Amino acid sequence: MQPLFKNIKGDRLIWAIVALLAILSFLPVYSAASNLAYKGGGSNTFTFFVKHFMHLFLGFVIMYGVHKIPYRYFRGLSLVMIPVVLVLLGLTMLQGTTIEGANASRWIQIPIVGMSFQTSTLASVVLMVYVARYMSKIKDKTITFKESILPLWVPVFLILILILPANFSTAAILFLMVVMLVFLGGYPIRYLAVIIGSGILVLTLFILIAKAFPDAMPNRVDTWMGRIESFANPEDTEADYQIEKAKIAIATGGIKGVGPGKSLQKNFLPQSSSDFIFAIIIEEYGLFGGFVIMILYLWLLFRIVIVAQKSDTIFGKLLVLGVGLPIVFQALINMAVAVELFPVTGQTLPLISSGGTSIWMTCLAIGIILSVSAKREEIKEQEINEDNPLEILSETI
Amino acid sequence: MAVNEKGILNRLYFIAGCMFVFGLAVIFKLLSIQYLQGDKYRSMATERIVKDVIIPANRGNVYSVNGNLLATSIPKYDIRIDALAPSNKNFEAYLKPLCNELSKFSGKPSNELEKQIRQARANKNRYFLLARNIGYSDYIRIRNFPLLNLGAFKGGLIVEQTTKREHPMGGIAQRTIGYERWDEQGNVTRPGIDGAFGVKYLRGVDGKRKKQQIGKGQWKPLSDANEVEPKDGYDVYTTIDVNIQDIAHHALLEQLEKYKADHGCVVVMETKTGEIRAISNLGRNKNGHYYERLNYAVGESFEPGSTFKVMALMAALEDKVIDTSTIVDTQNGRKRFYGRYINDSHRGGYGKISAARVLEVSSNIGIATIIDEHYSKQPEKFLNRIKEWKLNMPLGISIIGEGNPDIPEPGNKNWSKNALPSMAYGYNLELTPLQTLAFYNAIANNGELVKPRFLRAVKEFDEEIETFDKQVLVKNICSNETLNKIKEILKNIVVRGTGERLYSETFSMAGKTGTVRTEYWMNDWEDNPRYVSSFSGYFPVDNPKYSCIVVIHKPSTEVGYYGADVSGPVFKKVAQKIFIDTPIVDEIETLNISKTSVDNEYESFYKTAQTYKTIMPNLVGIPAMDALALLENMQVDVKVKINGRGIIKAQSVNKNTKLKNNQTVVLTAS
Repeated sequence: MQPLFKNIKGDRLIWAIVALLAILSFLPVYSAASNLAYKGGGSNTFTFFVKHFMHLFLGFVIMYGVHKIPYRYFRGLSLVMIPVVLVLLGLTMLQGTTIEGANASRWIQIPIVGMSFQTSTLASVVLMVYVARYMSKIKDKTITFKESILPLWVPVFLILILILPANFSTAAILFLMVVMLVFLGGYPIRYLAVIIGSGILVLTLFILIAKAFPDAMPNRVDTWMGRIESFANPEDTEADYQIEKAKIAIATGGIKGVGPGKSLQKNFLPQSSSDFIFAIIIEEYGLFGGFVIMILYLWLLFRIVIVAQKSDTIFGKLLVLGVGLPIVFQALINMAVAVELFPVTGQTLPLISSGGTSIWMTCLAIGIILSVSAKREEIKEQEINEDNPLEILSETI
Repeated sequence: MAVNEKGILNRLYFIAGCMFVFGLAVIFKLLSIQYLQGDKYRSMATERIVKDVIIPANRGNVYSVNGNLLATSIPKYDIRIDALAPSNKNFEAYLKPLCNELSKFSGKPSNELEKQIRQARANKNRYFLLARNIGYSDYIRIRNFPLLNLGAFKGGLIVEQTTKREHPMGGIAQRTIGYERWDEQGNVTRPGIDGAFGVKYLRGVDGKRKKQQIGKGQWKPLSDANEVEPKDGYDVYTTIDVNIQDIAHHALLEQLEKYKADHGCVVVMETKTGEIRAISNLGRNKNGHYYERLNYAVGESFEPGSTFKVMALMAALEDKVIDTSTIVDTQNGRKRFYGRYINDSHRGGYGKISAARVLEVSSNIGIATIIDEHYSKQPEKFLNRIKEWKLNMPLGISIIGEGNPDIPEPGNKNWSKNALPSMAYGYNLELTPLQTLAFYNAIANNGELVKPRFLRAVKEFDEEIETFDKQVLVKNICSNETLNKIKEILKNIVVRGTGERLYSETFSMAGKTGTVRTEYWMNDWEDNPRYVSSFSGYFPVDNPKYSCIVVIHKPSTEVGYYGADVSGPVFKKVAQKIFIDTPIVDEIETLNISKTSVDNEYESFYKTAQTYKTIMPNLVGIPAMDALALLENMQVDVKVKINGRGIIKAQSVNKNTKLKNNQTVVLTAS
């Protein structure tokens, strides 16, 4: 173990938080698996346990590998990856998997391994790195809106358009994250307003086309509308089924929860091991469990801020924030859905929910963050003369 | 655009602050769900997830008096398939074999079935019916068919079990055996024994068990034991005798078909106990087929007609206002009473005849004259007799829906001067067939009026919960003198009266015919006359065993309508067959008749065999067969030689001599 720890670089607390989340994730995932195993017929719950373990193990391997890469390489990598991601997204879309007639082609099969992979999640990470790269590149220039269109917004909108038909929420969150990142990078607010405006315009156009020609392409417009309507509508509708079960789960949890594996709602909540896992956590471990999870994510947010703060380069800062904030944001969205603060989306709880893609991409992002913080450590080792009291404090927290 | 670190960090603090607030909002909402809405959702949790499941108690069986099942509950199964559940691979692999098996099972062509199931899959039909209402063994068979044997999730098998009430005897006595049935509105119909005793005995008490939902449509029991154990219903043992029931049913059916009658009933009652041995009620449907429609025998009050003349004459005899030999002038078949004519069916009338003969020939005028002459001034006296015989009130039998008799009284709107003479020959009053039968049974039963009974016992397995005994309504309906006179007349009706066509030399029966107009108040009666033909009586004449009534409504007048022609033959057939066909009559008391001589011989042989083991016994006088057996079964090994056969006359070794091994004994027999 000793050499392993020696080789671990970067912010140790991020490592600890991630490890803790990963360990804790076994409890709800294993519990929620019983329903999947029951419905699946022959399989048993332990298969799900092993599967989740494999996902996490692979995730940590990715994280370890990535954090060893000096982060400056990510600039060039993102440039290379953008076309690859576009091709993958295109392939995914063409596959045309449908759920009850609506387009739900979010996954592609990885040949040989036989696992499915959600391309939009990879695209998100790549795009965020790409945007961070662009924003750091122009940091010293004064740039016009026109100049930023081709290198920044064309790739962004291309990716968003490819994700949108199958996965509105991911596209919307990604858009929001990109906007947040360019805002952090000092992109002029008035240009941002134009971009947000055009983003809404594109979405409206898409919905109108989808409504006007329902057969033109498979899409999930009706599902989104239904979800948003059921969120806005205080009366009980059929679409409220999931959220009602989630609220029942939360209400039965109480302070201490009903105990590990004793959740009842896991049998009725679809996606109880991914989208609605927060509700199951509260049912089984109560407010206590919910608070622990929430604190871990907020702590992660805090550490990300610290890493960004301490990074020497603009690219480093923007990179950490670009890949780090979406993790926390996604976690908050997931929890907000479970407590009916937000309409139902398909967002997982990073590192907790089962599902390979989500875990791996989160680990990839964390690896990037760690890579940035590891670089900082390297520099620090060289010049040990800094003793800013704020920095010493942030190191220890 | 000069970007500096400070700018980035300031904006970052703003965004991180927003996220923190978002996190706080999540926690706030979490608390609000737990504390503000908590009770609502917690109650929803138990409401949605835990339910009380009724475990239906098994309904008790209904048995005949011979122990045959008349009604029982058996599980039935509906088999359906969720055509979407099987995977493509399984569906394609097993559909053909499944359809072949189903085809063998149902007889439908295999490719037709295949087409239908494929269609169901295309239409996303998750509830496609394969077989309805099949028994347990068929269910087991279908469950093992290809595809379906993969189970509910992989094969799409859906099994729904229901409990059906079955009548193993089929349509026979169905209405009397009865059932309990709910319609969609929740109204219940409870005909017959099953209906009458359903709530009290047969139904049992349903059990309860709490179940928790573990998925869509999947429930598991919450605890090991049932919250309330179901208690099965008791079995009900009726008085119905399936053999007699069968005879009555078919005799009635044959006659109804012959006379194209509207409906009819037969009731056979055991004289001594009042137990109903058979009750058959057949009505015609639109297609001209007869089946058990309504319990006419119990529920239908009608004007009894001539069968009531017996009651009228008995009242007069008992009051000693006349005697059987009293001469009555029946005139020429037409007599005026208070402005209305009464006719006799015999053209030209019977002239002056005795009161007994009045009943034998069933003269309306005769009986009306007797009753009017002696009771017109004091009709209460006549009515009191009827009340004494409990003919004015229902018998109070257990089956629901007993018809009410209608006996008019002075002061009623039906009462007039003509009421009394009309009543004398069975008009202007109403009785049910069962009430009439009960009265005739009382005559057969030496004046003891017993209540008709359908039940013998209620049992839980072999334990008797309740037994039903004979219930006497009136100890003596009249004096023995009157009883003997009326019995004599009833006998003579079959010998030389209106029932003489029924007379048989081989067995005796007694009874009274009845032919009564019905619906005569309707305008079209003249064009389309309608009658009710009946015959009520008992058999055999001496020491009667059964009484029986046959009522047939609206026989086709083109074929015939007189009680003796329409209903009489049914009565005769029932009586005849009971005495010829039923094994009860041919029962032999015992086959073990002991003979003392045989017993004695056996005793002495046994004694000898026990006593003489090595010493020669005295064999003279016993059969050679027995002697040989005795010697060869001894403890010494002797050789036996027998000359001749029959009884032993001499033996070569003297008695009481000790025998040696291989010694030869010569016996001489003749």
